[in-house]
Amino acid sequence: MPREAEPSLNEREFVLKALQENTRLDGRELDQYRPLELTFGDQYGVADVTLGKTRVLAKASAEVTVPYTDRPLDGIFNIATELSPMTSPAFEVNRPTETEVLISRLLEKTVRRSGALDTESLCLVAGQKCWSIRVDVHVLSHDGNLIDAACFAVVAALRHFRKPDTSMEGGVLTVYTPAEREPVPLSWLHSPFCITWSFFGEEGEIALLDATWLEEQVRVGSCTISLNKHGEICQIAKLGGTPVEAVALLQCTNVALSRAKDFSAFLDRKLAEDAKRRDKGGLLAELSAENDR
Amino acid sequence: MATERPLVLPGDVIPPSLIPTSANPNKKQQPLRLGPGLRHIPPSDIVPTVAGQLITVPHKNSMWVEYNSSRYTPTPSDLVIATISRSGPDFYYASLSPYTANATLPHLSFEGATKKTRPQLPPGSLVYARVTLANKHMDPEIECVSSATGKADGLGPLKDGMVFDISLGFARRLLMARSKEEGKVEVLELLGEEGLAFETAVGRNGKVWVSGASDAKGNEGVNAKTVVVVGRALQETDTKRLGVEQQRKLVKKLVREMR
Repeated sequence: MPREAEPSLNEREFVLKALQENTRLDGRELDQYRPLELTFGDQYGVADVTLGKTRVLAKASAEVTVPYTDRPLDGIFNIATELSPMTSPAFEVNRPTETEVLISRLLEKTVRRSGALDTESLCLVAGQKCWSIRVDVHVLSHDGNLIDAACFAVVAALRHFRKPDTSMEGGVLTVYTPAEREPVPLSWLHSPFCITWSFFGEEGEIALLDATWLEEQVRVGSCTISLNKHGEICQIAKLGGTPVEAVALLQCTNVALSRAKDFSAFLDRKLAEDAKRRDKGGLLAELSAENDR
Repeated sequence: MATERPLVLPGDVIPPSLIPTSANPNKKQQPLRLGPGLRHIPPSDIVPTVAGQLITVPHKNSMWVEYNSSRYTPTPSDLVIATISRSGPDFYYASLSPYTANATLPHLSFEGATKKTRPQLPPGSLVYARVTLANKHMDPEIECVSSATGKADGLGPLKDGMVFDISLGFARRLLMARSKEEGKVEVLELLGEEGLAFETAVGRNGKVWVSGASDAKGNEGVNAKTVVVVGRALQETDTKRLGVEQQRKLVKKLVREMR
């Protein structure tokens, strides 16, 4: 396994010097994101997110399984992250690097532990049958800020996802194909987003959003804040690095809230556009399982 | 230079009319020289191995395929920007592109270098060098001094500044002797006309080094903004494949944003 490529000394020095002059290499403001793009696949639950040159694909899928014995009333919800050698030769299959473990943990904490998906609604027959929802995250291209892009992709995929409709009659569970009944969306409670700040300088006095790969190599510390548009913070991860002033961190969370609102509005708009594109109208709309019966 | 540049695909048959022949039959004919992207299959077939434009130069009796790729394959006498990865007893090990075998740079192949006066380069520093040996089965070798004259000719360690990645095709266009007419790249001249002072070094391995020129007081690269603007102009021209007119607009826009 080759070592990850490292930027040269000149690049390191220049990035820092330019940041002292409030300049970033791509001409962005310090708290500005790269252009964010989101495309949904033909299938339900496929979200392709590009953030500058970073590209992440998330795919949600569902299957019926037996619930865990200690949680008979809950469904199963998993997020699997994979950094393949396609992203960079430094990544190897079946040997997770530190980056990969960190992304998995942060996504887990942000989406699963914050209760964004109501797992109780996934239960079909208590203790016997439940839905298992799984999201696979594939990083297709790595140019920094994987966490924010991956988190956005996971949330977008889950909100776009539709699971097959089911019915329970006389102890018989029926799972309908999409042709029989329109699939139903997941019971989604809130949409958390990750916002990552990177810190530069001797005491971490320069803070910026959406670091590129080069900036990530030079930074002295980073802090990932997960929150939804209502300002409810799900987690804050500041894993090592230079200590940062508490007041500065408070300022960071304020900016993060406005970014989370932007993300939320952007995702709502994209979902509405996609729904409009899929909406066939007429009889099919009347047959939707979401209608009142 | 040939006027027409036909597009060839791998495995195409190249019509004999395109293969250059010596213009003057009385002169002793030079052997036909094949450049990158062409393969000679004996006895007399010439087959392209990549997709690109076929370029023929009749007076040099040579032909090659011009194509844009991301993978750099070292070729002798290429000018490259290399990153020192470590130093050995007699050589520096320098990387020309990430995740490939290191090139060797002898400690003494700098201008006026002796065992005692050779430049001490820490890992991660940059050098502008020339490829001297590139063999399919061996690590490439590079040098920072012309072995014939003993002069550096602009090669050597690069101080300060910033490296920007560009595509290999764009690097070749920048390095053309008449890059404005043939390569259709005018962006550096336009930036200079706008009053920006900077110096650049283009490496054929897809890297451009840009540094703010020293001002009257001798402060090296005081203006990071200039370097960023030059780098962005180059990268956008490359990725968006801008023509000369669009390059002019881009430069105007970037310079306006900077001031």
